Amino acid sequence: MQLKKIASPRIPTERTKIGSSKNLPYLLILPICVLSFTLVLYPIVQGIWISLTDKTLGDAIGKKVNFVGFDNYAGLIHNSAFLASVRITMTYAVMNVIFSVGAGLITALLVNKRFRGRGAIRALLTAPWAFPDVASVIIFVWILNSAFGVIGIVNQHLPFDTSGGWLTSSPYAFISIVGISMWKTFPFYSIVLLSALQGVPEDLMEAATVDGAGPIQRFRAVTLPSIKATLYLLGLLAFIFAFRQFSMIYLTTGGGPERDTETLVISVYNTAFKYYDYAVSSAIGVAGLSITFIVALGFLLLQNRVARREHS
Amino acid sequence: MNVVVGGHRTVLARSTARYIFIGIVSLLVIFPLYWMVVTAIQPPEVTLAYPPVLYPKSPNLLGFSQLFHDNPMGKWLLNSAFVAALTTLITTSFSVLGAYALSWFRWNGKLVFGLMLLFTQMLPEALIIIPIYKIYDQAHLLNNLPALSLIHAAFVIPVGVWILRPAFESIPKEVNEAAQIDGCDYLALLRKIIIPLCSPAILAVGVVAFFASWGDYLVAVTMISRQDLYPASVGLASTMSQLNTPIQELLSGALIYGLPPVILYMFIQRFIISGLTAGAIKG
Repeated sequence: MQLKKIASPRIPTERTKIGSSKNLPYLLILPICVLSFTLVLYPIVQGIWISLTDKTLGDAIGKKVNFVGFDNYAGLIHNSAFLASVRITMTYAVMNVIFSVGAGLITALLVNKRFRGRGAIRALLTAPWAFPDVASVIIFVWILNSAFGVIGIVNQHLPFDTSGGWLTSSPYAFISIVGISMWKTFPFYSIVLLSALQGVPEDLMEAATVDGAGPIQRFRAVTLPSIKATLYLLGLLAFIFAFRQFSMIYLTTGGGPERDTETLVISVYNTAFKYYDYAVSSAIGVAGLSITFIVALGFLLLQNRVARREHS
Repeated sequence: MNVVVGGHRTVLARSTARYIFIGIVSLLVIFPLYWMVVTAIQPPEVTLAYPPVLYPKSPNLLGFSQLFHDNPMGKWLLNSAFVAALTTLITTSFSVLGAYALSWFRWNGKLVFGLMLLFTQMLPEALIIIPIYKIYDQAHLLNNLPALSLIHAAFVIPVGVWILRPAFESIPKEVNEAAQIDGCDYLALLRKIIIPLCSPAILAVGVVAFFASWGDYLVAVTMISRQDLYPASVGLASTMSQLNTPIQELLSGALIYGLPPVILYMFIQRFIISGLTAGAIKG
């Protein structure tokens, strides 16, 4: 009896002083559930409901809202702005994954040696991550300003014409928002990867060196397998970061020029507050929700695989 | 092997190349922040000169005094601090309870609860901000700072639970035994043993919550329309969109609003780096 309890003490068998512990976990999660139901789940249900109607934000009070079934969704399939927005979101997210995680990895590999001032460099590299979005936006809008921005120094040496402005002409606006998010995220990724690199087995590395493996072979055979899980995780983080990103796009380009940097979240906001089409905005939102759902499932599968590998 | 064969010269060349690379990367990362400081502390005439001078000339602090003179910046910073502090309080206490339920008890619905948290964590607020706006409008909770912090908390709590759960699980289960023998009930166990032992993780949750709330723009700009209730993020964004705001003033604002989290972060980064890996999703 005693042994069994030590082996699985998380199954409470004894009665505790404060009544049955059977109900305790439900009491513990109650506050979170109340918040989540009112501020996350209920709004989702509302959003889904509105997406099935013809509601607009400018509706007079008391105006009858009609149920239109899946009309808004059918409309989306032929809505070129929506389709473009999906494409822009995916491109932006994939670019974030490739460039931010890639730059993080290269930096981590090169910094992964003891050198003087390493602690300081690490602390410094985390600064952009902690820096709030709106403050970052102010800095970059200023740096990229087409009349007075310090980018002017660079512009005159570029082989292409950026006189339309880095935030106001295509494709530079898109490149700029990728660049800004890269600035914000890659230093953080490199620090996470740096701590993963500490876990690469030293003796394996030496053995590979003795066997005559070059740097690239060593990276592929020794380093990569042991940081793979971290790379996957960061790839997912970068994807979600890009997918959720609102303020750093909205306040720099606003989704423009035209609608060239309008990701799904920007599109939801603009459709509601700029074009006042409440119902279509909700339908776009629901499309975004389903993408979130798929990504969350993908994350769970990935986590399971990693956990299983660690067990075996 | 290569290194040994190559001798000292190669080693030297390589470490030099490494230093140069580290130097370039650090420059790229730090330049925007450096440029903010330079612009914030020098007069606009110097800033607007072409070609730009890359170091501060005739520095002054007029940008800051202008900023506080032209806008209720002090009020905005206080609003941000108030909302962030309240968010931190709600998030840490709710997350502690939730993580305790997830890590120390066996109950039905645990999986569903975990899934709900994961989904909430990945959900972009922008997708459901309009229904939330409608709910708040009907409940007369617009332009209400505590109500704003409730939304912040709802979206950052999943991160908190995610950070705390492994920390709570790492406490040896024998502790439970010992506590029960001493006559502790489950809440006393949480209060007297788990919370003190996991205080670094709880601190990490507090910091993540504070950052998330301090940095939020989207929720605040949707829910708060009264200028005197703006948090600093919304206030600064509004001065940015006014074309006549002097550049020195604007960058002073970015500096004063952006610096507290960075300083806080540098002090405690060692403490929370692992927690932040989990919290990173919230960005």
